[in-house]
Amino acid sequence: MANSGGATFLARLSNALVIRYDSAMKKHIAIVEDEPALRENYGAALTRHGYSVKSFGNRRTAMQAFRIRLPDLAIIDISLEDEAEGGFDLCRDLRALSAELPIIFLTARDSELDAVSGLRLGADDFLTKDVSLPHLAARVAALFRRIDALRRPDNAADILRRGALSVDGEKMQTIWNGTPVTLSLTEFWIVHALARNPGHVKNRQQLMDAANVVLDDNTITSHIKRVRRKFQQIDPAFDAIQTVYGMGYRWVE
Amino acid sequence: MSIRLQLLVVALTTLVLPWAGCQYARELETALRDSQEKSLLASAGTIANALSAQPQRVFRGPEDSPGFAPGGGDLYVYPLRSVPLLDGYRDDWGVAAEPTALPSFTGYDARVQAGATEHYLYLYIEVDDAEFDAEPSNVRLDRDRFDRIDLTLERPDGTQDSYFFGTNAPGLIGAQKAVKGDAGPPRVLEEPRIQAFWLQTSAGYHAEARIPLSYVATRLWVEVLDGRGPRRAGVTAAGFPQGGRLFFTMPGLDALLGTFIRDGTRATVIDANALKLGAAGSLSANAADETEADAGSWYRRFMSVDTSSFPLEAAAPDRLGGNSVSAALAGLPHAEWVRSAGAQELRLTAAAPLIVDGRTRGAVVLEQAGDQLLGLRDRAVTRLFNLTLLATAAAVVVMFCFATWISLRIGRLRNAADSAVGSDGKIRLDMPESASGDEIGALSRGFERLLARLNEHTQYLRTLGGKLSHELRTPLTIVRSSLDNLESEGLRDDQRRYVTRAREGTQRLQSILSALGAAARVEESIKQAECVNFDLRELLSSALAAYRDGFSHAHFALQTPGDPCFVRGAPDLIVQLLDKLIENAVDFCPSAGTITVRLERAQGSYLLLVENDGPPIPQALHGRLFESLFEQRHGRDDRPHFGLGLYIVRLVAEFHGGTAVAANRSDGGGAIFTITLPLI
Repeated sequence: MANSGGATFLARLSNALVIRYDSAMKKHIAIVEDEPALRENYGAALTRHGYSVKSFGNRRTAMQAFRIRLPDLAIIDISLEDEAEGGFDLCRDLRALSAELPIIFLTARDSELDAVSGLRLGADDFLTKDVSLPHLAARVAALFRRIDALRRPDNAADILRRGALSVDGEKMQTIWNGTPVTLSLTEFWIVHALARNPGHVKNRQQLMDAANVVLDDNTITSHIKRVRRKFQQIDPAFDAIQTVYGMGYRWVE
Repeated sequence: MSIRLQLLVVALTTLVLPWAGCQYARELETALRDSQEKSLLASAGTIANALSAQPQRVFRGPEDSPGFAPGGGDLYVYPLRSVPLLDGYRDDWGVAAEPTALPSFTGYDARVQAGATEHYLYLYIEVDDAEFDAEPSNVRLDRDRFDRIDLTLERPDGTQDSYFFGTNAPGLIGAQKAVKGDAGPPRVLEEPRIQAFWLQTSAGYHAEARIPLSYVATRLWVEVLDGRGPRRAGVTAAGFPQGGRLFFTMPGLDALLGTFIRDGTRATVIDANALKLGAAGSLSANAADETEADAGSWYRRFMSVDTSSFPLEAAAPDRLGGNSVSAALAGLPHAEWVRSAGAQELRLTAAAPLIVDGRTRGAVVLEQAGDQLLGLRDRAVTRLFNLTLLATAAAVVVMFCFATWISLRIGRLRNAADSAVGSDGKIRLDMPESASGDEIGALSRGFERLLARLNEHTQYLRTLGGKLSHELRTPLTIVRSSLDNLESEGLRDDQRRYVTRAREGTQRLQSILSALGAAARVEESIKQAECVNFDLRELLSSALAAYRDGFSHAHFALQTPGDPCFVRGAPDLIVQLLDKLIENAVDFCPSAGTITVRLERAQGSYLLLVENDGPPIPQALHGRLFESLFEQRHGRDDRPHFGLGLYIVRLVAEFHGGTAVAANRSDGGGAIFTITLPLI
């Protein structure tokens, strides 16, 4: 569903009302992004992938719409118009409205601190704007798949078990010693890629490919660090992800 | 010329103080001299007035006898303090003056001196006559010739008596007198009350004669005659009836004068002939502190008033002279400074006329030594001089210390300014001296402000890359996402070509932006790094294995110590450091060249050396290689080099408390990068 360029708030609101009845079967994605061109590009791409997209330029309009109806997935930029951290606030409010709603941060800000803050607020993924549209679509699809898988009754078809670890590829759930580990999508895919072939060294490029992201080395390193920490919160003795200096990482059982 | 030297020169201007002191001392001396003249003159006037009131205690008679003439046989009678022994010598007279010559037209040399005690007149006669002519017995004056001394005395009653001395046996003799008898030649009678001692010497004879004052009043004629020839000297009563006057001093006048004067002053009363009537006091009563005068004496050389123009002293033992005396005798009080003949001493003479009944009958002369004044002045000047010299020295020392202090402060500031911008481009904002309130403090604060502004600017430049990368990312994303969308709309093949090119362009832009922002990201991730103890040797061998796989065109060599090398740090960062060093080495290493990684133990640290074959590092780049966004070396490929790699190396090394240094291999065929990492 294409959005007209210079639409006013009222026009957009009426559009949204139309969409509600029009596309009941389609997944609804809300894009909150203050840059109109980007907003429309993302919207166009996701619409092409069969989603119903509603985009907002700031936190206020977005929240107004969300109070009326929650989307199925939200893609949020951190800085929104005059609010440098408006995305974080929005994420917090959204999380208060729904615990399950998948939230993706898509931002030009690539600092470690922003990523940590975003994920801590309950976002499912943190992407920089370097991500390509196909990659973005892949992530969106993966998150929906996870939602769907969580709603379906258990089937152990795609469950990877490595010692204390069990990774559910469908639900994108990770369990260590019977306790769920809350990983972001990127982190999940990294763990998944490492655990699939224990002992094999995965270099950074391979991990990036697996996670459908383009990240620099440092970001991979901090992702690994974060993953380790999350496991260690459950099991302080966790030591399954090993660094192979100059090469990458491997899973050891 | 350093500030210290300049201030020292300035301090030397305080030498003007001693100079001014000298000038002051000179004026002081002149003023003192004036006041001394005035006070001495006043004293002289007072004494003269006192004496004028009682002329009978000053003058023997109411009349003066002016025109003292030794050539006419006039004699000054020295007052004798003790009774001399009649022995032919005048040593016991205590008279400093030499006898005066008797007038002679025949070349007969004789000298005479007169002295008086309370009751006797003493005569001392000295004759140069080597041949002794004895007096014959039964002498007849008209017939016999012998060495003879004739004396003619004028008695108090005005009568005259003639006596003569002659002997055939030198020794104590009496005076003889020719008495005309009634008939025949005159008889010679001895007068026993007039005695003399005749002493024969190789050069002639001396006679010391004693005459009771009752025999002689005011005149005495002395003539000496040679025994063999017509030679004679002296005067006779017949030849000089107005001559032969005796000028006595006034008894009791000395004591009287003594009551008027104080120590260090000599008072003399003279008559109209300037002959001394009485004197009291001495010039050197209180020899003022000799040592101090000596100590001060060297000042005099260049500061005392010029005294060479002063007249020489014109005094004789029996009389006084000089301008003041002549002026006083002319009726005018006068004082003047004279130089004493022998020593370079100054003497102040003040003379006041003694006016009795409107006539100037004499004068009172007071004399004072100038030494007293000099001593006074020297004491003052020495103190002044010492004080000013001390003040000058103190000023110089203080100035020197002050200048040294100022120099030190400026030097500190200069050193701080020199090192304010470190080799790593970091700016130290704290300057020394900035707390002090003077100009140096202000300068320092000015420096601080300047540095702060510079720092802001540098900070801005430093973060510019990151900001730029951040700001450019959104439009780039718009371009790229638009391309993505365009591609999925379905393109013709010729259109797809342009889209591909556009995509390549955005890729390159992307990598440039990511390099620009990398510094900030690295700094951030370094800040968050966690330190663990790990084996550097194991890390190196693991990493080298990866590099061998990754970079096939170069040979890798690894040299490590035999045992584990534990360091504390972030292994991820060390690997990143190593990655950058290896990337850099690979870029400059020719095909089939060797890259050697060495780990060595040095004092207190490990040395990690990465050495590669290839071109040396240009001299101009040494020290700048590790700066952010600095890259002038051209590697093998055409990838953009923003020099972040080596900047990251430095950041990581410094995070671990180490350093990063680049150098050329001694053979010039390669470069060595040395990282020091401290031991645990």
